Amino acid sequence: MNMNLFLKEMRRNAFSLILWMIVITLLISVTMSVYRTFLENQSKILGMMNLIPKGALQFKGISNFDDLLSVLGFYSVNNIIYMMLLGSIYAIVLSSNVLLKEEYNKTAEYLLSWPLMRSEIFFSKLAVLFLNVLLLNLVTTLAGFICIEFVKTGPFNIKAFLILSLYTLLLNILFGALGLFLSTLVKRPKPITTLGIGLVLIFYFIYTLSKITESASKIGYLSPFKYVNINAISPGYRLEPWHLLYFAVFSLLLIVISYRLYIRKDIYL
Amino acid sequence: MSAPVIDITDLSKFYGKARGIEHVNLEIGEGEIFGFIGPNGAGKSTTIRILLNLIFPTGGSARIMGMDVIREAKKIKRQIGYIPSDANAYHYMDVQEFLSYCMRFYRTQNGTNRITELSELFELDLKRKIADLSMGNRKKVSIVQSLLNNPKLLIMDEPTMGLDPLIQAKFFELLRSENQKGMTIFFSSHILSEIQMLCKRVAIIKEGKIIKLEDIETLRRRQLKKVHIGFGKTEDEENFRIPGTEGIITRLGNTLTFMYSGDINDLIGSLAGKKITNFTIEEPSLEEIFMHYYK
Repeated sequence: MNMNLFLKEMRRNAFSLILWMIVITLLISVTMSVYRTFLENQSKILGMMNLIPKGALQFKGISNFDDLLSVLGFYSVNNIIYMMLLGSIYAIVLSSNVLLKEEYNKTAEYLLSWPLMRSEIFFSKLAVLFLNVLLLNLVTTLAGFICIEFVKTGPFNIKAFLILSLYTLLLNILFGALGLFLSTLVKRPKPITTLGIGLVLIFYFIYTLSKITESASKIGYLSPFKYVNINAISPGYRLEPWHLLYFAVFSLLLIVISYRLYIRKDIYL
Repeated sequence: MSAPVIDITDLSKFYGKARGIEHVNLEIGEGEIFGFIGPNGAGKSTTIRILLNLIFPTGGSARIMGMDVIREAKKIKRQIGYIPSDANAYHYMDVQEFLSYCMRFYRTQNGTNRITELSELFELDLKRKIADLSMGNRKKVSIVQSLLNNPKLLIMDEPTMGLDPLIQAKFFELLRSENQKGMTIFFSSHILSEIQMLCKRVAIIKEGKIIKLEDIETLRRRQLKKVHIGFGKTEDEENFRIPGTEGIITRLGNTLTFMYSGDINDLIGSLAGKKITNFTIEEPSLEEIFMHYYK
């Protein structure tokens, strides 16, 4: 890893990271601020929700109305999905650009003429990706924790909260690795950001489709969202080892393949 | 000649089925100013990009200072400077920031002094954002960054594009001075006069192949001119088949156009007694040189 390149990239991405942190934190705060009002009017709201088709609610991640009554249930249903979706979009946008932007801005011609190995470039950019995703998750998790502390009406399971946050981080890292992989496949710079965002949304759509349609339940396994357990208030909620293995293996595999492709890639300008 | 600084052996690059370069062989000695000339798309940039490990060859090998351009790329890059044809630096940085960023990769002792010295020479405003610079000023930034590490080898791809004549003269003067101190220069261009001004040897590349490798003096002696002569009445082309007339003589109305590499006095002598309405001598384009000498 090259510290000069790493620090330059961190500075370069700082503004965008802060912006994403603010947006997600605001979304969490706004959503959690209605929790007490929700509790006070639960009978009316649940009555209204009964009128909404079950499929539509499941699309939003609500499978059981009672889940919404606990602060962690309310948090996981309303926020985690946004954090997972937005965090993954952030990760894939960042990762699909972190190497490729040197090509489409034609700065790779300078970068590769300076005394740097391709592996140093790759690992410096990978470190930038990891640190940015980690910082985003830390800040938004902290924001979630503070919001829960403010609005809770009783104790909540902090271990379950942390596991839920870890699932989000793992999902974000997997999409980050996917974006990196996509960027090494493209020979000529093209707008792959749109493709990346599209993939996150498609995977989310596949996941929700598998939840609301019995006949399509199997295709859910194609989506990384399927391996995230958002049911944080269920008894015995834990980080499933095979889920962890899934995220670790696929993320690592994508990163290793990306590395192999990048160090042999023709950089067209 | 001492051990070659650049040693290219049978180097080829294909982009799928499309040709980049084919079986290129070149040896450039220490302290040489070597010109690499050819029309756009001939393979100049492809060769340079292989030397810089931006792209990988499909065949052959290239070594710089005895080191393999793929396996020992980092070691090589400590000792070379590069001026790309597109001066697209990081647009969000200011000049000082960009040059300092570049300098930190070399970990040189006197980097800051070198930045000041070179930016003063090229009258660069270090505080300006790169995005706000003109093409010429961006090129100056590119030149300065290429010289920060006092390279032993300078590779330049169309370095004068966008430079005004005054700065270009200053740049050439600097190159001559650095060359006298021992720097080897590999200069790629499509402008023959530039190459002639600076280089000692030249390789001409066409359609991915080196078609001629010769001393610049030899090239200069065989200097080809494009001649247009307008006559008051129709003249027979064959009257101008004098020694030095090259290739086909074309006619447009009463004007004859042809390539001439002989003594201009002989040509003028052959016009004695004829009514001339126009007489122009110009430097032919590279393509015209290729067509007449190297077809």
